[in-house]
Amino acid sequence: MMKKRLLGLTLACSMTAVALAGCGGSGGGTETTEPATSESTAANAGESTTSAAPVEAADGDTVLKWAVWDVSSTVYYQPLIEAFEAANPGVKIEMVDLGSADYQTVLATELTGSGSDFDIATIKDVPGYTTLVNKGVLEALDDYIAKDSVDLSQYGGITDQVTVDGKLYELPFRSDFWVMFYNKDVFDNAGVDYPTNDMTFEAYDALARSVTNTTPGEEVYGAHYHTWRSAVQLFGILDGKNSIVDGNYEFLKPYYEMILAQQEDGVCQDYATLKTSSLHYSGAFAQGNVAMMNMGSWFIPTLIEKIKTGEYGEEVANWGLVKYPHAEGVEPGSTLATITCLSIPTSAPHKDLAWEFVKFVCGPEGAQVVAETGTIPAITTDAVVAAISGMEGFPDDEASAEALKTANTYLEMPVHEKSSEIETVLNEGHDNIMTEGSTIDEGIEEMNEGVAAVLGQ
Amino acid sequence: MANQKTVDPNAVKEKLAKLEPRLLALQKELSNTSDKKKQNKLIKQIEYTQGKIKQAKTGERLSRQAKRDLVAYSFIAPNFIGFCVFTLVPIIFAFVLAFAQWDGNNAMKFVALDNFIQAFQNDRFLASLKNTIVYCIATVPLTLICSLGLAIILNQKVKGRNFFRTVSFFPYVASLVAVAAVWNMLFSPQKSGPVNMILYNLGVAAKSLPKWSADKDWVMFTVVLFSVWKNMGYYMVIYLAGLQGINGELYEACSLDGANTWQKFLYITWPQLQPTTFFVTIMLTINCFKVYDIVYMLAGGSNGVLNKSAIVLVYHIYEEAFRNWNLGYASAVAMVLFLMVLAVTLIQFRGEKKYAN
Repeated sequence: MMKKRLLGLTLACSMTAVALAGCGGSGGGTETTEPATSESTAANAGESTTSAAPVEAADGDTVLKWAVWDVSSTVYYQPLIEAFEAANPGVKIEMVDLGSADYQTVLATELTGSGSDFDIATIKDVPGYTTLVNKGVLEALDDYIAKDSVDLSQYGGITDQVTVDGKLYELPFRSDFWVMFYNKDVFDNAGVDYPTNDMTFEAYDALARSVTNTTPGEEVYGAHYHTWRSAVQLFGILDGKNSIVDGNYEFLKPYYEMILAQQEDGVCQDYATLKTSSLHYSGAFAQGNVAMMNMGSWFIPTLIEKIKTGEYGEEVANWGLVKYPHAEGVEPGSTLATITCLSIPTSAPHKDLAWEFVKFVCGPEGAQVVAETGTIPAITTDAVVAAISGMEGFPDDEASAEALKTANTYLEMPVHEKSSEIETVLNEGHDNIMTEGSTIDEGIEEMNEGVAAVLGQ
Repeated sequence: MANQKTVDPNAVKEKLAKLEPRLLALQKELSNTSDKKKQNKLIKQIEYTQGKIKQAKTGERLSRQAKRDLVAYSFIAPNFIGFCVFTLVPIIFAFVLAFAQWDGNNAMKFVALDNFIQAFQNDRFLASLKNTIVYCIATVPLTLICSLGLAIILNQKVKGRNFFRTVSFFPYVASLVAVAAVWNMLFSPQKSGPVNMILYNLGVAAKSLPKWSADKDWVMFTVVLFSVWKNMGYYMVIYLAGLQGINGELYEACSLDGANTWQKFLYITWPQLQPTTFFVTIMLTINCFKVYDIVYMLAGGSNGVLNKSAIVLVYHIYEEAFRNWNLGYASAVAMVLFLMVLAVTLIQFRGEKKYAN
């Protein structure tokens, strides 16, 4: 019985296949179904070859597929492509936008299995990079680097921080670091001096408190911390003595104490409210009642652009930049960095051409193009700093230009096999402390235990 | 059909020589058995052999029955192929994966029950299991009571009945993202949030006001409250249908016997609604096990990561599968969820027989 059913089913399937292929006519009576099926597969094969052809056919150009996010709001993709295509006739770059919110997840899914044909992949963050390296879907670039003798020292040591087992799988083209944004008008109104490029945490805390106003209806917040854990926790790694992945988080205590006290006294907005209202940091700063906000340099082009288009009003038009505050005895200008990199997937159809593109974008020429759009490239020469600080809309005081020069940069999340699991634990600890669901000590204990469990797996 | 073929008499004879004795044997066996099930089976086999004989005699490639079957199969094929490709095969694959370690790219490694052992040692899994069960236990009865109450009120001839029915159904059709944002605004953790303002004026100290979905002790409560509010409209409609199916004569007879409203509810409405209640309970329970979106929207914050205080099973599966790429482990957790839902469904099958009307 079962056999008969199975047979019927397969026959039915082949029948629909025949019907779908459009050769349903039964033909002569003696014909069996066999030739019909093979005919239909032949027809299908014919179709697929014709549909596969046009991808590379256009004018004989080779098309490289580049995985990116936010095509419409990112200003440097198009200039980079134009510059590259001008220098390399016969090669065209096609961008594929995978969306910003879950870019790394989508990219990992695309590169899983063997179906994708991306030649170049943009890597958004270090945990995402680690995931892809662990999955073995990225091509090691060391041979290419040796072949074309690319000088890695121009990246200021950041490439060493993303080397996995002696191999490098990505090259950075964009490097953002955290700075302190401030609103000059708020300080003027309060009659307080502007922040400087050399602030200790004590000085920063005192300054934030001195401009705070808690009168209902006319609140002014001395500081603003976005809900990301990196906005608070990573103050702790700037002295270079501690790591965010080693499983001991006692060193975070003084920073949590400072910020919880600020929250308590209305110096900064309540974390729980920010979390549930999902308020974006740009919206918070744009309201004009935030004196200082620590944020990445990626906010610079956005801020310039939105003030220019009039989306942000007079309240924030007068902004400035200073270096991150630092712990006692640490060189000013020590800050956190996130890098945006390019990689070549192992499944890339045109690896050598893709390398040419990677080399171009991550090299000095690409850096110049990126800098001209107001974005900070991975290679920061004096020319690059001058290009950015000379942009229209960039604050014209000297301190702001000076703030772009960094001393030591630490990756927000170093390369670690378990970085995404550690990230989850640290997020939870941060959340519990900031919502005051746990005391600082309890929260740190949770993080210590949680990360120990992750590391022990 | 022009399917008539020239018949080779020798081949036919050969076939018949095989088939006819088989038919006789089957008929004999049939007359000797008294077991109903076996009889039916034999009758089917006899019919099948008869068809074969006929087919051999006429020389048709397919018997009439086979042709009919083919037509029928071709009708279900489009759906069935889709079902196979998108549901059946993935389910079987997930089942296999649950016993393996796999990141999607490297070779799969068979690890027997390791994934399950690992799950029951994982804090986040245990937290999600606990939260899911707590969510179920709290949501099911509350939604049931609220939707039944609403249905009873809106089944009476009150003014603006249709208006209120629409109002109660509205949360169910409104976009989750939008209403979750509004909900988080109402239940703002600040003292100035509307709900907290009321509590404050009722005398709750400013320090002990709940932070609702940002508070690790209150987040599940907020989620349950939201879920009851959002879903009660849908189950109210089901209850309304159930209420309208109750024979009015029962109430009349009851009134003649001098029953009051409560007695009418207790002895007529409630028993008569039993099949509806049963259906609603099962649907609610299964939906509760599958909850993800509501928790994610209310407690996810700006980075969409759920803490142990709010994590649910489906979210845990997602994070393990697509953030940490432990596809095997995630499938194992999915199996646990599957077994839980299966248990509920089996109870439903049992109950359906009892309550079927």
